[in-house]
Amino acid sequence: MNARTISANSVFAGAAMAALMLATSAGAQTRRTEKHFAVEGKPVVTVQNPNGRIQVKAWDKHEVMVLGQSAGAGVAVDTEQAGNRIEIVTRPTDSNVTTGDLRTDYEISVPTETELQVRSDRGNVTVDSVHGDMSFDSVAADVALQDVEGYLVIKTIGGSLVCTRCAGRLDANSISGNFQLVQPVMDNVRVQTSSGNILFDGSFLSRGIYVLKNYSGTIEVRFSSNDSFDVNASSLFGNVINQAPVVPDRHKMRAPKYPNSAMAQSLFGSMNEGHAKVELSSFNGTIKILKRD
Amino acid sequence: MQCAQFEQILEQADGPLPAEADGHVQTCPTCGLIYEDLAAIRAACRELSAEEVSPPSRVWTSLRVQLESEGLIHEVNRGWLSQLQLLVVGTPGAVPRIGFAGAYLSLLLIAAFLLGLRMPPQVGAFTGDQPAGGVLAQVRPAASLVSEFPVAVVANLNQTLNGDLERVLASFPERDSSLTTSLQQNLGIVDNLIAVCEKSMREQPDNPVVRQYLYGAYQQKAVLLATAIDRSTLEVR
Repeated sequence: MNARTISANSVFAGAAMAALMLATSAGAQTRRTEKHFAVEGKPVVTVQNPNGRIQVKAWDKHEVMVLGQSAGAGVAVDTEQAGNRIEIVTRPTDSNVTTGDLRTDYEISVPTETELQVRSDRGNVTVDSVHGDMSFDSVAADVALQDVEGYLVIKTIGGSLVCTRCAGRLDANSISGNFQLVQPVMDNVRVQTSSGNILFDGSFLSRGIYVLKNYSGTIEVRFSSNDSFDVNASSLFGNVINQAPVVPDRHKMRAPKYPNSAMAQSLFGSMNEGHAKVELSSFNGTIKILKRD
Repeated sequence: MQCAQFEQILEQADGPLPAEADGHVQTCPTCGLIYEDLAAIRAACRELSAEEVSPPSRVWTSLRVQLESEGLIHEVNRGWLSQLQLLVVGTPGAVPRIGFAGAYLSLLLIAAFLLGLRMPPQVGAFTGDQPAGGVLAQVRPAASLVSEFPVAVVANLNQTLNGDLERVLASFPERDSSLTTSLQQNLGIVDNLIAVCEKSMREQPDNPVVRQYLYGAYQQKAVLLATAIDRSTLEVR
């Protein structure tokens, strides 16, 4: 072993030791919180977490369990129960706390029928198999919902939404976030994003209303041959691509007029009996109405 | 002056006492003590207001649950007024910051402006043939926003919104730099949309659809401001 090798090994060992010490130090600062709340009926759970992951899952106990893992000191997890209402708040206790220290990850287990109110600005929010009204308010946090049911209200600035097998009603608004609705079972969907994309891949329920709107980006809806809907799609300065065999004037409705908009592309008509109402509008984005494979 | 009369004056007074009451407080030790206590409480309140201290949100939650359980209040459907409150204040129960009074005012102006746009059109009522005065004259300014493209009004609102957003974002603590960046990036997106819509509006001034998109973009900007204000209230307690 020559001097150069020894020197290299020493540097490596030193770096490894330093990394281990840093990891140990970080681990020592990690703080864990576990709380249990007995509830009856339909609880209301409110979570305010500026930074960190939030996972909410349904279970069959009459209890709300909160597991919180904070990255460092200078952050407190406040919990409060008042009847069936449970509030979880992450807050800084020190004005010098950094974003990283403020990070707190939560795993929350709730009864299946639970109302959720979540505010999270960074970090993902996932909700699985919860049946209850939900509202999400985020700046950059992405929201993923799976097998949920209820009145869902999502307000994000840049966060995206993926909703898989969601049922009920959805109101979603974002500036740059994308929205994906996969196999939805919803009869009232109102989604708007300014520059994000929107995907609706599911059935249009009878008497359902589906309003999808953006300024730029793509709005894509996928239909099957059994779907029955009236469609009104228009992109003021973009394109409308249609594969649906729509026929005009099924319900003798007047087609919308776009004065002085020679460039506007629009589609207006019915597919099958026109049992649902689908409104797609974009300022200069592309609207695609595509047949599902 | 009787003590009861003095107490009545004291309840209503918000400044120096009238001469007669001042004379009474000098001669009545009981009322003198009450007056001193009240002065101390007022001074403490002023200090608290200056520090913008607000009770934790869980206090509001507990209060609400207590009031609901006692049947004093009940859950109501959110009307436009409640939604406006949510837009302006953010989280239910949150207390607006006094320092951002101007920003709240901008939001109220935007909300009122957009509310005016949603009013059912009453074309006949707002023609120039209407006589001056009366109820119609009072509602005309708001409705004019619908029938005429208020370039100056919108431009002023945009300028006000820009100033408010700049001030609110500057108030964010250092630890929220990534949050500030995210809000600024989205502000850039909305400003770009507004610019594109305004260009189209100039090219097609009579196109109501373009106008709706433009107003929608302003609404998004107001939402951005409301969110920024809301997040700025997350302070160390």
